[in-house]
Amino acid sequence: MATKAAPNRTVRFRIKRCDGPGKPSYWHEFDVVPEKNANVISCLKQIAEHPVTASGQKVSPPVWDSGCLEEVCGACTMVVNGKVRQTCTCLVDVYAPNNGDTITLEPMSKFPVVRDLWVDRQRLFHNLTRIKGWVPIDNTYALGPGPKESPEKQQVRYKLSECMSCGCCLEACPQFQLETNESKWDDAFIGANAISQVRYFNEHQTGKQLKSDRLDTMSEKGGISDCGNAQNCVKVCPKEIPLTESIGAVGRAVTIHSIASFFSRK
Amino acid sequence: MGTEPGFFKRHHFLLRRLHSLSGIVPIGLFLVNHLLTNSTIAWGMINSRGAEGLPPSVIEQVGQSTAMRVGTFQHEVGFINNMPFLILIEIALWVSIAFHAILGVYYATSGSPNVKHYAYQDNWRYSLQRLTGYVAILYIFYHVATLRWGWTWLTPTDEPWTYERASSTLAMALRGQMTGLSAGGMAVSLFYFIGITACVYHFANGLWTAAISWGLTVSESAQKRWGYVCTGFGAALMLLAWASLIGFLTIDIDDARQVEMSKHATTAATDQNALVEHLAAAETE
Ligand code: HEM
Ligand code: SF4
Ligand code: SF4
Ligand code: FES
Repeated sequence: MATKAAPNRTVRFRIKRCDGPGKPSYWHEFDVVPEKNANVISCLKQIAEHPVTASGQKVSPPVWDSGCLEEVCGACTMVVNGKVRQTCTCLVDVYAPNNGDTITLEPMSKFPVVRDLWVDRQRLFHNLTRIKGWVPIDNTYALGPGPKESPEKQQVRYKLSECMSCGCCLEACPQFQLETNESKWDDAFIGANAISQVRYFNEHQTGKQLKSDRLDTMSEKGGISDCGNAQNCVKVCPKEIPLTESIGAVGRAVTIHSIASFFSRK
Repeated sequence: MGTEPGFFKRHHFLLRRLHSLSGIVPIGLFLVNHLLTNSTIAWGMINSRGAEGLPPSVIEQVGQSTAMRVGTFQHEVGFINNMPFLILIEIALWVSIAFHAILGVYYATSGSPNVKHYAYQDNWRYSLQRLTGYVAILYIFYHVATLRWGWTWLTPTDEPWTYERASSTLAMALRGQMTGLSAGGMAVSLFYFIGITACVYHFANGLWTAAISWGLTVSESAQKRWGYVCTGFGAALMLLAWASLIGFLTIDIDDARQVEMSKHATTAATDQNALVEHLAAAETE
């Protein structure tokens, strides 16, 4: 990117901190002279090495989560300047090109905080089990080759397969709320990524053996009917997954499924 | 305590879809019909049969245009009022609106609008859908209470709305005085403007989202195309809504009364009471 960032500038990081689950949060500010081509994670590393706030107070190093550092694992997802995104690909030259610019970092608000910028995305993975996000091939003997997949469906599914369960689409969704009580997860809105995964697995020739179960889940409380069509999910998805098309497609499947089961369910 | 999930949980999906459906039929369908009827007070002047049945003396007195506007509107109102089982239609409508409104508030309060951080156009649509829903409740309640249930103490006039004199009594309830606007009339007219604008937006946007919810529009381009249709349809409805308001704000109330009286007398001439009433009214005139 051809942004001109001032060399040797100081960037102020405002970081929302929290000492542990259920503890109150508070803010710390740190000044950083970013390395060349720095991203937010590399600046966090600088801060952690030398955790002294802008007002000179020595504090505990901030905690965050990250993995791949190339935007494929989703672990480093945070709220940067009010908007959710991955921080490993969040370039400081773009976000803070001038001396004295500020970058504000917060943990995602729709998942419980473990510590500081690190959240627990367990519910997201739990939601994938709600929709049976797998292809059923377990058996005691080799089942042989599966049915043929058409190239057209492969094209559709390839894009959907890129979901890295980062949680951006859930953080930005006005219908998806923080739920710390695990026993309520199964009734709470499931969110765009899981709806899209329903389409992903139902489009698969072997995966669609579980189609009916998935559509049942989609037509329960917390299923697709709790989506309010705000379409924020599709705009914040870093993988540009066509989430709103998946919502339309699963909406259609659920309409047909519910009419069919009205007439045929025993 | 039973382990059976409650009614609302068991029928969650069905209730959601019925909510969506109720917004389109009967509520949306009624809205279209209602605005078509009401806007005749503005475009009735191009209805060549608008002044039919009115004595030439009255037409001459109030002018061709007013005669046609009020004549058409009164004719439409009379037609609705003479529909069979009107009370059943009304009850079905009230039940649907109550159902849609109560569930609508419950659904709206379960979301957390966030346009502050995600200021996308679609997100504004989403938030406005909730906001216009709340406005619609207030407006529809006021509208029905003042005109249908006769709560005149909430209007700037003490003349109750009646179907025989629909044009003039509605104009009074909007304006508060025979010419111009009273202070209260200004407030009521502004509230009407906001209320009808909110209802039309809510309906047009609801048509757009309903198509996704039911799975009619799947691809992004289909959603876009249907979006143009809903925008066009919404714009046309909006024009009808505003035309209705402008019509009632510009009609000459005194002239409207003349038309209503002679219209009522001619259509109800066989009705002994109406005739006596008309003669008595003519005498005091
Ligand atoms: C009286 C107060 C009203 C309230 C509180 C209200 C509330 C709502 C809410 C919150 C939604 C969104 C539901 C969702 O997406 O999950 C909605 C949808 C809708 N409303 Fe209303 N509404 C009201 C009146 C009306 C009226 C008067 C109309 C018709 C002109 C209408 C037509 C619709 C339509 C067509 C939808 C779309 C449903 C869908 O997305 O599937 N509503 N309403
Ligand atoms: S759909 Fe996109 S935003 Fe949502 S979890 Fe998957 S990759 Fe992240
Ligand atoms: S379209 Fe549905 S899932 Fe996506 S952000 Fe809006 S409400 Fe959430
Ligand atoms: S560290 Fe894996 S996406 Fe950022």
